Amino acid sequence: MSALTAARRANPRARRPARYAVAITIAVVLSLVLVASSILNYVYLDTVAGRTSLYGLLAVALIAMGTFIGVRAAARDPALRRRDFIRAAVLLGLAALLWLLLIDVFIFTGAAGPQVAAVCALACLPTTAFGLWVIRRIDRNEKEPWRLVLVAAAWGAVVATSLVIWAESLWQDIAIRTLVPGPGFDVSTAFSAGILEELAKGAAVVLLFLVMRSEFDDVVDGIVYGAAVGLGFNFMESVAYMTNLYAIFAPDHVGGYAAGFQWYARQVLGLFFGHATYTAFVGAGVGIARQLPTTRNKLIAIAAGFIVAIAAHFSWDAWINLFPIVQNNFLILEIHLRTLIMTGPFTAAVVALLLLGLHIESQALEDQFRKEAARGSGAIMPEEVPILVSPWRRFQQRLRVLGRGGLRAYIRLARLQSAQVDLAMERWHRERQEVDTPLEAEQELRSQVISLRKQLAA
Amino acid sequence: MVAGPVDQVRTLYRTLLFFAAVSVLILVAGLVEFAYFEPPGQHTGLKATIVGVYQYDPDHKTTVGTDRNSFPRTVQFAAVVDWSTLPHNVVVDARWYDGFGNVVGSVGPGTPDQLAGQTLVPVKVPSGFSHDLPGDYIFVVERYEGGLPVEVIGRRVVLVER
Repeated sequence: MSALTAARRANPRARRPARYAVAITIAVVLSLVLVASSILNYVYLDTVAGRTSLYGLLAVALIAMGTFIGVRAAARDPALRRRDFIRAAVLLGLAALLWLLLIDVFIFTGAAGPQVAAVCALACLPTTAFGLWVIRRIDRNEKEPWRLVLVAAAWGAVVATSLVIWAESLWQDIAIRTLVPGPGFDVSTAFSAGILEELAKGAAVVLLFLVMRSEFDDVVDGIVYGAAVGLGFNFMESVAYMTNLYAIFAPDHVGGYAAGFQWYARQVLGLFFGHATYTAFVGAGVGIARQLPTTRNKLIAIAAGFIVAIAAHFSWDAWINLFPIVQNNFLILEIHLRTLIMTGPFTAAVVALLLLGLHIESQALEDQFRKEAARGSGAIMPEEVPILVSPWRRFQQRLRVLGRGGLRAYIRLARLQSAQVDLAMERWHRERQEVDTPLEAEQELRSQVISLRKQLAA
Repeated sequence: MVAGPVDQVRTLYRTLLFFAAVSVLILVAGLVEFAYFEPPGQHTGLKATIVGVYQYDPDHKTTVGTDRNSFPRTVQFAAVVDWSTLPHNVVVDARWYDGFGNVVGSVGPGTPDQLAGQTLVPVKVPSGFSHDLPGDYIFVVERYEGGLPVEVIGRRVVLVER
């Protein structure tokens, strides 16, 4: 449900749900892995350590400020304590992201120097932003908040890449020293990429599911968040490959061509046919699990999502050599066909899940709009139902209001519609017994809708 | 008797399980491929003697200087193998792989007697380029069985600097 209308729960629970404990456990494990990664960075990448200590001063300042506020919170009265703890957590989170970003920048982009890295990053920004815009738009009934979509993308770009780098390096090192170079070695590397990268990216989707349950409604939301994580990862990987290949081929004066080819392959051709597709499967699994009744089924759905993501990623890395690209007149055609043949079926499968999910969601919302209208609470009027069920008609109604009452009226109607969709979504989850919030929360949403309607009328 | 309404989320769930089942087959196919190219039980304990990796003079087809683990990209280099330490009945080859996994130099396959005159295995500069591409280069001496390399009996990793 959108942040705009996220109603405060009427009766705060005395105890947090068990999923918070799971989320904390995952966060602690990931933090330990990141600490280990940082120590390895310090030990083995001595040139990095010196520079990060300089450029990382802002991260150090954020940590100091976050710690100060966190410690101060302990002495405050309960009303202020919660707010301070949230501030401290946000500052510490920002510091961690900044620190990891610095390490990423030095590890992935150090090859070609900061100017080339900056150009590569700038080249990848518009395409990645376009990708995020598209995947957010496809959630036609209820768009996810930008802040969470961006957090998901940032995790993919910064945290997931940091989590996998040492594990993949270690795997590669062992493979180089033990395996026969050739197809067997390639398969081993593909298993490494598929398993480690999908686990690192999928952890973000699982954490969002555990912590932001109110914004994680179904398979559609899962696919959106999963694809956002994938796009973030793809951004950082694109920059890394572009800079690395530029550095390798620049002495032969074809560095720009090599980097440009990587940009096209990863940011245009592979924007959706790659990491976005793979991690969308993790999201789909988690999203379906959100609506399943038993813990066993939930775990199976999540595991199934991870398996499909790993297999999709693995098949590309392992069997890409089955479609060698030859320098001839059909080069461009071959490149596109290869992506279409190898990743196309997986993308089609995730689109099928998305369309089915959207269909189920639309039907459920229509049903709940009608039930709420029949209830006569005043939150949804019977004549509003045909408009609310159609995103296009909702938009047309907003445009009409824009013409009559200006931007303010447009925004108020958008808020009202959004709150009505949230109410229908809450009703749907309650009917399916998928919520752990008290009934008063639904009533509060209803009151909020009525209040927004009065504001619009005024 | 009237059937209850079908929960469409179950349909989604079953669809995902179907995709997962296909995915398991893909991963199993990967494991089978890995086992084919890395067959278990092929460890013989044989060790090929790689004398060293040296700067290479292509004009005189000789090595120069001392054994090294890294080279500037402008310098050509070659591995030197002592085939005489291997049993006469094994089939072996030696290959250089560049950082992209391409074979950039090789001798064999053949028996150690057949390869006795090819102790030098130089890295070839890729066509269209003036120097070696930077990265980790792997030199391997492989033992063959049934026409396939099944065991690495000698290995060196060399860095070509940027």
